[in-house]
Amino acid sequence: MSISGGCLCGAVRYEISGEPITMRVCWCKDCQRLAAGNGSANLLFRRDAVKITGNPATFSKPADSGNIIDRKFCAACGTQLFGETAARPDFIVVRAGTLDDSSIFKPVANIWTSSAPAWACMNDSIPRHERQAPPPTSK
Amino acid sequence: MTLPITGSCLCGAVKYTLSAKPIITRLCWCRVCQYFAAGNATVNVCFPNDAINISGELRDYRSVADSGNIMHRRFCPVCGTHMFSEAEARPHLIFVRAGTLDDASVAQPAANIWVSSAPGWACMNASLPQFERMPPPPGK
Repeated sequence: MSISGGCLCGAVRYEISGEPITMRVCWCKDCQRLAAGNGSANLLFRRDAVKITGNPATFSKPADSGNIIDRKFCAACGTQLFGETAARPDFIVVRAGTLDDSSIFKPVANIWTSSAPAWACMNDSIPRHERQAPPPTSK
Repeated sequence: MTLPITGSCLCGAVKYTLSAKPIITRLCWCRVCQYFAAGNATVNVCFPNDAINISGELRDYRSVADSGNIMHRRFCPVCGTHMFSEAEARPHLIFVRAGTLDDASVAQPAANIWVSSAPGWACMNASLPQFERMPPPPGK
């Protein structure tokens, strides 16, 4: 499976050689700020499966989990592309809006739902976690 | 709803105050918005442009939207939070990204728009109107 994507203006691109480990919608407050008010749609990959071209800007801040998250975005168009943390250096989060083929994203859970806005729409057929989800099982 | 309404980006470098209540809030599923909302729909709260006071440096990304309008989408260059959207055709309005509101309850979605380009997993409140593409202008 080969997955490709990039930011809106095309200054940052990526190619992924593996399949997503998990896919989730995150409702933490930081994600709502970065996702225009909605839950962020995130795919988790092994870091070594993702090849990035271009130079995204980085904003680092502790998340609700306590981990310091490096959030990477395009400095030209402001598209949020990736999330990484030194606490789990083998993994990278890719924001689903940047996929060339957005049908790849199939969420398996909503997480941090305790901070979701009252109007938040969540698929009833997938689990909800009030806070952090259990670690994904590796493939 | 208490005025003024306040908000900021994730890092706090850009802040704003609003002296008016929102005109309407909509979720937009156009493909460009999915880039700005990490794959989801953007949640946009419409205000009269003369009611907002912004402090801090913003970067402007100009593009042509699916509607054909020339859009200015402004974000914080420090943390990459998209904050505002303005259409040259409607200079009296500003759309504030709901994630930047200090009080998220200010945003009360009234419709989903551009649902023709929503992803298969998109979750929409069935009690709200859905527009395949552009809705009628607010306030009409």
